[in-house]
Amino acid sequence: MNTQSILRDLVGKKIISESHASLILEYETAKPLSVHWELRYMLYTGILLFNSGLGMIIYENIDSIGHQAMIAAIALLTAACFYYAYQKSHPYSHDEILNSNKLQEYILLLGCVSFLALEGYLQFQYELFGSRYGIAVIIPTILFFVCAYRFDHRGVLSMAITGLASWLGLTIAPLSVVYGNNLTDLKILNSAIILGTLLTVTGWLSERLSIKKHFSSTYIFLGGNLAALAAISGLINQPYKVAYAVLSLAFCLFFVLNARRKQSHIFLLIGIIYAYITVTYLIFFRISENAYFSLMTVYLTVSSIGVIYFLLNFKKILGTAR
Amino acid sequence: MKKPYNLNWIKNIEVQRRATDWASKNLLDKPQLEAIKAQYQTHFYRPNFFVKIGLFLFAIIASAFFMGFISIFLTDSNITDRGFAMISFLFAGFFIFFLERQIKLLKFFHSGVDNALLYISIALLFVPLFLLFNDLKIWQYSLVLFILLSIATIRYADILTAAGSFLALFVTLANFLMNFSAGTLILPFAVMLMAACIYFAVRKNTGIYYADCCKIIEILSFAAFYLGGNYLIVREGNALLNNSVRPISLQIPFAPVFYLFTIVIPFAYIVTGVRKKDRILLNTGLLAMAFSMVSFGYYFSPFTTAQHIFVSGLALILFSAALIRYLHRPKLGISDEPEKRNIPDELKSILIAQTLGQDPETKGINFGGGNFGGGGAGEVY
Repeated sequence: MNTQSILRDLVGKKIISESHASLILEYETAKPLSVHWELRYMLYTGILLFNSGLGMIIYENIDSIGHQAMIAAIALLTAACFYYAYQKSHPYSHDEILNSNKLQEYILLLGCVSFLALEGYLQFQYELFGSRYGIAVIIPTILFFVCAYRFDHRGVLSMAITGLASWLGLTIAPLSVVYGNNLTDLKILNSAIILGTLLTVTGWLSERLSIKKHFSSTYIFLGGNLAALAAISGLINQPYKVAYAVLSLAFCLFFVLNARRKQSHIFLLIGIIYAYITVTYLIFFRISENAYFSLMTVYLTVSSIGVIYFLLNFKKILGTAR
Repeated sequence: MKKPYNLNWIKNIEVQRRATDWASKNLLDKPQLEAIKAQYQTHFYRPNFFVKIGLFLFAIIASAFFMGFISIFLTDSNITDRGFAMISFLFAGFFIFFLERQIKLLKFFHSGVDNALLYISIALLFVPLFLLFNDLKIWQYSLVLFILLSIATIRYADILTAAGSFLALFVTLANFLMNFSAGTLILPFAVMLMAACIYFAVRKNTGIYYADCCKIIEILSFAAFYLGGNYLIVREGNALLNNSVRPISLQIPFAPVFYLFTIVIPFAYIVTGVRKKDRILLNTGLLAMAFSMVSFGYYFSPFTTAQHIFVSGLALILFSAALIRYLHRPKLGISDEPEKRNIPDELKSILIAQTLGQDPETKGINFGGGNFGGGGAGEVY
């Protein structure tokens, strides 16, 4: 089955004419191969490698390299990147901006990354901020938030959010939430829940108020994920189980409703998984170990089938359009 | 043999996909697209990617604990290995029957649940082999696995079983050759030869039913062909197989041949990929090129690791930025036209938060994000 056979079939069914078919065939044979995404991945990988390589070089040679020259070079690069990004940017708008310049968003990302390297260098070598680490973290965070909104860049927004979390001593990167944070510590746990909730509310508000609507899923995803996982951890490790269970389920409900509103299925998936963990824990944490195995097998089988049924029919159950 | 999945619907999916693509390029108008969609209907249940993951996950949990529950009644403390194997086969039979029924009833088409049931059935058929025959050689086990996965692929056209059977076949080959004294010597050439044979055999298939399987096998055979001739893999692999414990592995026989392979194959892939407009070949070629640079850098680089990473990052940035500027109009049969690809924004934010995000442990010193972490913090404070 190839282009020709499909076109022949369409002509046979009188959907398109003979000449129309040859037009499409001509287009298909002449069409150039698009390497758009290949180039973007290469550029992104390049920025990643550049960033790690630079950090490692500075760290390994901190005693031997000419500091002024190094700092001047990184500062120059940072400034050049921001200048380019600013030059090629469109004026601020509450809406999503489609920038026609193909490199601007990557140059901005490179600028942000080298700003971090610059700041780290200054702190490492000259203790610019002394022991006030908070300032060292919050400065790039504020800069990144400003850049994210000014230049309409979701990647920089993600970096800003990780910076904000880091300022509070938290790791928010989705795959590191569980192992990166010491969630058995009540203080960390509660600040994770509070930060996560605030970010989620910010996301919800930005959609409500139509200020950078397309940022909302980044806020909700990073914040909600942190808060929900922290709540589950609280449920398992802390007293006041009811409070944490309610919180966790509230987030799951919010995720599912959000998924329904935005047709975003990743929210549906994490909402269901977190709710499943919460409910399962609530049912089993009091049952003695003797009855565990047989009850567990029955419960898990039946409930999983239930979830599968829900997933197969969620469009009908939630009344979504698609 | 009649296929479990409705062949016409699979064809219709392809027609619809192509037609939507043409319509987005204004080669078809709206009524034409509507007409095509009406004429070429499919009734498969094809969920969104994330829903599919959920279905897969919960199908695995449900089947695993279902087996656990039933086993309570079927087993007692003095059950033999043979008994276990029988129970395992019994479950496999049940799950395959169930799989076939569900495909018919719920119109699954690689929808998560059917994938899960298939993988579980294969595992249930394969695992008892270790209980029943516990002194076979690795190649004998992997040969059985290859046969099982191939049968599954022929029937269900699942890409994971296709990839699995490809890998099982190479494990069989490698382990079989190890039995002979010259085995390690000819292994690279045998791998390359087999990869080439598989590729040309797969190329013959033009049917739509196995289109995705063929793609994955193509990718894997390009990769195997390249890795089979890659200098780093051959040299380190050789050292590993000879149990050598030197800090620097020994030079290998025919080294110049492998230098040549390591240099030529990526270029050949990329050039052919561009000329034939074959994205798979191009992308494999790009990855192979990157790996070739790592391979040569590993032995001959004048740089330290850090400098190597830095320089290659810089080179990548400059090269791709230059190419993006150069391709503002299509040239040489390639373009920088953005093609629609649906990567959800959430995944992008995971990627960036994970790779470039800040971490509290670094305490304001952020060299190199995730890869470098807080390595230096301890010494200064």
